[in-house]
Amino acid sequence: MSEFSRRLPVYLLLDVSGSMQGDPIEAVRHGVRALVSELRGDPQALETAYLSVITFNSSARQVTPLTELMLFKEPQLSAGGATALGAALRLLSDCIRSEVRKSTETQKGDWRPLVFILTDGAPTDDWREAAAMLKSTKPANIIACAAGAYADTTVLKEITECVLMMNTLSAGDLAQFFAWVSSSVKMSSKSLDAKPGANIELPPPPQGFVIVP
Amino acid sequence: MSRIGEATLSDGRKVPYVITDNPPRGGMKYTYFAPDKSYVVQFFNEPNKIDRNMSARLEAIIGRYNPTIPESKGGAIGSDERLAKYFSGRFCWPTDLVVAPEFGIVSPAYPKSFFFGDNASQFLDLKGKDKKSNWFTSGNRRFLNKSELGDFRSMIQMSLLLSRSIRRLHQAGLAHSDLSNNNVLIDPKTGNCVVIDIDSLVVPGLFPPEVAGTRGYIAPEVLSTMELDRSDPRRMIPSSVTDLHALAVLIYEYLFCRHPLMGPKIFSSESAEKDDYLGLGPMALFIENPDDTSNRPSSLKTTIKDLGPILEKLFLRAFVDGLHNPPLRPSAMEWERGLVRTWDLLHKCSNPSCEKKWFVLYDTDNPVCPFCGTRISDRNIVRFELNTEVRGHSGEWRKYSELDVVHNTPLFKWHMQGNVFADEKADKTLQAYVCCHNGEWFLINRNAEGMLSPQGNPVPAGKAIRIADGTVFRASRSDRGMLIKVKII
Repeated sequence: MSEFSRRLPVYLLLDVSGSMQGDPIEAVRHGVRALVSELRGDPQALETAYLSVITFNSSARQVTPLTELMLFKEPQLSAGGATALGAALRLLSDCIRSEVRKSTETQKGDWRPLVFILTDGAPTDDWREAAAMLKSTKPANIIACAAGAYADTTVLKEITECVLMMNTLSAGDLAQFFAWVSSSVKMSSKSLDAKPGANIELPPPPQGFVIVP
Repeated sequence: MSRIGEATLSDGRKVPYVITDNPPRGGMKYTYFAPDKSYVVQFFNEPNKIDRNMSARLEAIIGRYNPTIPESKGGAIGSDERLAKYFSGRFCWPTDLVVAPEFGIVSPAYPKSFFFGDNASQFLDLKGKDKKSNWFTSGNRRFLNKSELGDFRSMIQMSLLLSRSIRRLHQAGLAHSDLSNNNVLIDPKTGNCVVIDIDSLVVPGLFPPEVAGTRGYIAPEVLSTMELDRSDPRRMIPSSVTDLHALAVLIYEYLFCRHPLMGPKIFSSESAEKDDYLGLGPMALFIENPDDTSNRPSSLKTTIKDLGPILEKLFLRAFVDGLHNPPLRPSAMEWERGLVRTWDLLHKCSNPSCEKKWFVLYDTDNPVCPFCGTRISDRNIVRFELNTEVRGHSGEWRKYSELDVVHNTPLFKWHMQGNVFADEKADKTLQAYVCCHNGEWFLINRNAEGMLSPQGNPVPAGKAIRIADGTVFRASRSDRGMLIKVKII
């Protein structure tokens, strides 16, 4: 990375609650691995994208701090517990505050972060305040994906306008989700369009995924 | 699981392609490969945006504006077999329109040398990835093996080939409109490049495509007026002069591995997006601007001065005079010619571990490699000053260009005659070559007609002229033949 280029921070908020046990969590592990390898193969993403993973079950934890792709180490992911989405959103806000460089008179700030939330259930903690905060202050471009029949899209709609739904938690669907995240990051790192305030462009969602209106 | 699809072309032919789950996707299109990977079938991300303008434009691009097929086979005017073959290597030009299952195009696959092979990197698995230029011109260089990086001479050669390709487009009235690091693949190892994504060309007389361009390559005036309505006369859209901004940025990146506008200056503390918009758009400032150094990185080791006066002037016109004043930007032909002349001044660095291996030897009083600081000391510098006769003033000669000469330096027609240019049409037959034998210098005529000795006697093919400091002779007695003055320093 050149000394004057900006970073594109990318946060993955991954649901690792009990319902993700077994095949789904394995598919998520595989997805993160594929995502990193895919992004390392794209020169623009490799130069600009920095990746962090926040997981949530009964509590939220940043398992990987914001890291450049070449130094990214695959986190240990295991599933079990409840769905503390509220805690995850609060942690996300904290991480953005502490890790993302702000634009100042003396510093070139980072790009607005990209956040991908993947959840398969309904939150079990207090999430409203944290969601409202994110929606109003917009510290990042947030894309939420509701996975499977039990995910609550109305909750996600309280966090961001951009909500996707996939019908199953199958390995195939999860793989497609991570492939789509990777093309979204690639596309964003290329077209970081210098139009201030413009909406970011994302590739069309994979087949079988529905954009929740 | 992949399946085989079938594309119906506009002439009724059917071609197969492999349907994959997550096809590679760009800003405009996504791509499927042929079963044997010899061509690609591309469909548009937004099929509902395809209209008559777009299909008319693509028809023109594939047909009457196509420099990669001869005129006799429906290609561009003036294109013959040899030129068509030459430009087939310079462009990945679409070959056919697809009409079913939906509208799309067929293009040749990129030549193999533009994909990484087995030993490209010790850190990354790059095998099979295409060689986008920012693998080579950004910090990503550090992940590549040295054998991939080429040297300064191969970067000059790529710049020259790219200028020629863009000159060819502009000569036909076309504009690429989205020239960027993604749309030019480079192979520094061999000094080769290929222009891809030819489908959004601006074609004379047809509605221009709706392309935004790519960050870092969009001309400042296009970025600055992007928010205006397309019918607003102040709105600037991609054209050949905006290509000329992108071309200069690419050449600068090839030669310096850095971006000409991205420096330390903060244009806005409001947001990254605002700062970026100002710094690449309305307030863009060349990092090497001689009059305003506020965007100049403190770490600049080599600068445009080190490229010699020809390229230095071109860069100043592109990024100082013409940055916000598009008509002042150098044309692609000026870049092409400037790079050809600079090529003749390339000198091999005597330091075997010099990373760039070659440099522009323009200052013969101070012959130092700007990349590693090694001074030429082990031998003489031999210069051929090429002069052309001033038209209408018989016997009056003017310096046209210079050639840095070592043992075995070849001379071509464009060194012998002032009216021959080193372009795709030039005769590349060796005319003469330089030989150093027992400390004495000779120019040996191989194929040149009309060469004269310093005394004015004919020097037929097979014969040589002994040259020393101050030797003056006619490379060709023909009308536009050069007068060569030898300097040994």
